[in-house]
Amino acid sequence: MKKKLLATLLSASMVMGIAACGSSDGGATTPASTDTANTETQTQTTTDTTTADAGSQETASAIDTSEHVVITYMTTGGAPEGNMTDEMLSQLNAILTEKVNAELEIYYIDWTDYLSNYNLTLARMDGTVDLVGTASDWLDAWPNAKNGAFLELSEDMLKTYAPKTWESVSPEHWDLCKYDGNIYLMPEDNYAQWTNHGFAYRLDWAKEAGLADGVKSWEDLTTYFKYVKETYPDVIPWDSDGTQYGQMVSGWIVSHSNYVPIDGINSGAMWGGKKDDLYTVYSPFMTDTDSLVEYAKMMKEWDEIGVWKTDVLNNTASDNREDYKIGRVAAEQHHTQTWTDLCSHKDGYTIYDDPNAETGFFYFGEETGNIVALSITHGAMAVSAASKNPERALMVYDLLRNDPECYRLINYGVEGVSYEIDENGMRKNPEGYDGNTDGITTNFWWGRNDDLELKDSTLNWDAINKLYAEYDKIKIDYPYGQFVPNVDDIQSKIENINDIHTTYMKQISFGKYQGSAEDIVAEYQAALEKAGIADVTAELQRQFDELYK
Amino acid sequence: MGKKTNSSSTTGIKKRGVLETLWRYRVLELMCLPAVIFFFMFSYMPMPGIWVAFVKYNYRDGIFGSKFVGLKNFEFLAESGKLFDLTKNTILYNIAFIILGNFLAILVAILLNEMQSKMFKKVSQTMMFLPYFISQVLVGILVYNLLNYDYGFVNEILASMGREKWGPYSDPSAWPVILVIVHLWQQTGYNSVVYFAAICGIDAEIIEAAKVDGANAFQKIRYIILPGLKPTIVILLLFALGGIVKGNFGLFYNIIGTNSLLYPTTDIIETYVYRATITDFNFSTASAVGLYQSIIGFVMVMLVNFIVKKIDPDYSLF
Repeated sequence: MKKKLLATLLSASMVMGIAACGSSDGGATTPASTDTANTETQTQTTTDTTTADAGSQETASAIDTSEHVVITYMTTGGAPEGNMTDEMLSQLNAILTEKVNAELEIYYIDWTDYLSNYNLTLARMDGTVDLVGTASDWLDAWPNAKNGAFLELSEDMLKTYAPKTWESVSPEHWDLCKYDGNIYLMPEDNYAQWTNHGFAYRLDWAKEAGLADGVKSWEDLTTYFKYVKETYPDVIPWDSDGTQYGQMVSGWIVSHSNYVPIDGINSGAMWGGKKDDLYTVYSPFMTDTDSLVEYAKMMKEWDEIGVWKTDVLNNTASDNREDYKIGRVAAEQHHTQTWTDLCSHKDGYTIYDDPNAETGFFYFGEETGNIVALSITHGAMAVSAASKNPERALMVYDLLRNDPECYRLINYGVEGVSYEIDENGMRKNPEGYDGNTDGITTNFWWGRNDDLELKDSTLNWDAINKLYAEYDKIKIDYPYGQFVPNVDDIQSKIENINDIHTTYMKQISFGKYQGSAEDIVAEYQAALEKAGIADVTAELQRQFDELYK
Repeated sequence: MGKKTNSSSTTGIKKRGVLETLWRYRVLELMCLPAVIFFFMFSYMPMPGIWVAFVKYNYRDGIFGSKFVGLKNFEFLAESGKLFDLTKNTILYNIAFIILGNFLAILVAILLNEMQSKMFKKVSQTMMFLPYFISQVLVGILVYNLLNYDYGFVNEILASMGREKWGPYSDPSAWPVILVIVHLWQQTGYNSVVYFAAICGIDAEIIEAAKVDGANAFQKIRYIILPGLKPTIVILLLFALGGIVKGNFGLFYNIIGTNSLLYPTTDIIETYVYRATITDFNFSTASAVGLYQSIIGFVMVMLVNFIVKKIDPDYSLF
């Protein structure tokens, strides 16, 4: 009997064992290491607080920097191939060593599966990284803050170790970086950029197609794509991959309503308010049925025109943006910032060999004038809770963001090799510049500063300034900066809604659904209803009322 | 055990008995050691971590410091309303993999055994073994390049023969067959090795005796080899059943990707959980699902072992 029991237990544990192996990336094997890291962190945090308290009484000059430390900065993007980044770092580190006795290393998170790798690196909590480039809308800043990955930055700490940053960010903006009363993020709030999405397209071809002012609506896009397909058979109108559905459908919604989405609830940004009624939460995916049906029909038409490849849903190999530069495709869906690059006559952009070639931008919301300015936490720097030297990390960040010399090194590289300053005080590429060997990659998108920026002379500023001026006239500021939703109780519903949204929107957005447009939209909405979207909306409304009433 | 005497030992009979047994089988134990260490390190040591499935995991508080939330992490699976479909897909695919996989593997092993030319035997065995080493990511790309509508190999051929093109990437019904074929292509060579080894282990004298008695090749297979393989088949089957609710994530994710059109016939527990939780990086939910699968696996093993034991106690695991 005993033997039998033992055998039962053994086989039980063996099956569990398989489970442990199977889900090694999700569960059981990680904990062992996290545990040890955890005890370290706890002691770490206690020492942190004591030093921080002590620090607040010291003046900046009295900070103990006798020990030379290495600060690792984590950023998204692939590691550079040339060696100019290392060259730049050695120059930068000479300055950092002199000023704060620290040096900087960069930890790259490659774009492939960046979000999982990014979160996984943070979850290690072993002090691998100190400074963390993050974002509330695309890099899970708030979930990570809630999960305990980021260090709370007390006012005293910021005043002592990052005084210039503390000064330059207004109290209102600091408020937007708080969760539960603690500051977690240092926002990139003094840098003009627009990351609203839209389609970059060939303005000259649009004019040939009879659109004298260029593309001004989704219907114009249909005309444009049709024309391109017929006139330029070698060109794929838009070599989309299967991931574009989300931006497309939210683009359609903002173009056909005055919907203002809330960032950071789910990737589909499925909840928000209306421009004239900001604090009543609703989901246009449930209410704007007619609009969605029209969308489904138009996308079916695009699919039939042949805007994208037939197997677009499995197309992962597309390199649409690079192909646009050399004229293999006729449109690129991305944000304004990307368009500013595409519309400029840069080296290697062979479409501009044709003197008539021009790149226009149709931005989502153009029809209804529905544009929301960027949230200031679209780029922000956080300090890892597992950092062994959070004070020094802050000191380094303060220099990178506010010291002109450090700023130019981290953002532009070594002067004379990676960039030059022209007679207008603008930045340009030196003679014989080759981006692969002479350029640097630091992706420092978490502390750019217009006071220190050198404008890029290679950009087409005439076109860019014109569009920016247009935006400035109609934009509203992002209204929900202070809203950090607490989704613990509705998480499982949101996860299921995510999946429904993805499943159906992929089919709808690429016109791959069976049956009629009306049917597929009805089916989609019924599935959302069943998954409890009404409960989620109600819960968000409750939290909204708490905050805004 | 009495034959071997150990004169220097003065300990009690019982203790000496254990030590002596250990010493006597030292070579076997040594051979077993890597497996024991492996399971200890990767299965037994992390086991307390399963607690993570019952907490709201927080990086800083760790697994045992985080807040206990009971079965909340399991709600997500139940709420999705897809638990049944997902489990059904997963199990049906696995049944197909297990039955066809074992059948083919046995067939291949027997055929290899019957081959006279050593050269041909080695070459074909190697060829069949190779796909096992191809990464699933590459398999996914291979399948895409074979089957995609615009420039896939198959469609190029169909088009050049003037036939209508075939678009499996927008046809859910095609995939159960394609996935099973790909799986078999990858795994058969590997699986047949186990059976091949078992066949080699069958006493040559019996086979000789059968030949002398005038048995032909088919009779030899039917009456000697297949019965000889029975214990191996049963044990492998029991192992496979333990994992019957665990899908082959690599295969499904790399071939189907996130083509939602194909989900009705290809969505398994792993791919669904991956998609739903990848955005918020929820260790707890993922572990809860893992635990759910383990429990079902455990029940399956116990059940099948019980049935096997009823039929023939010799073949049961315990």
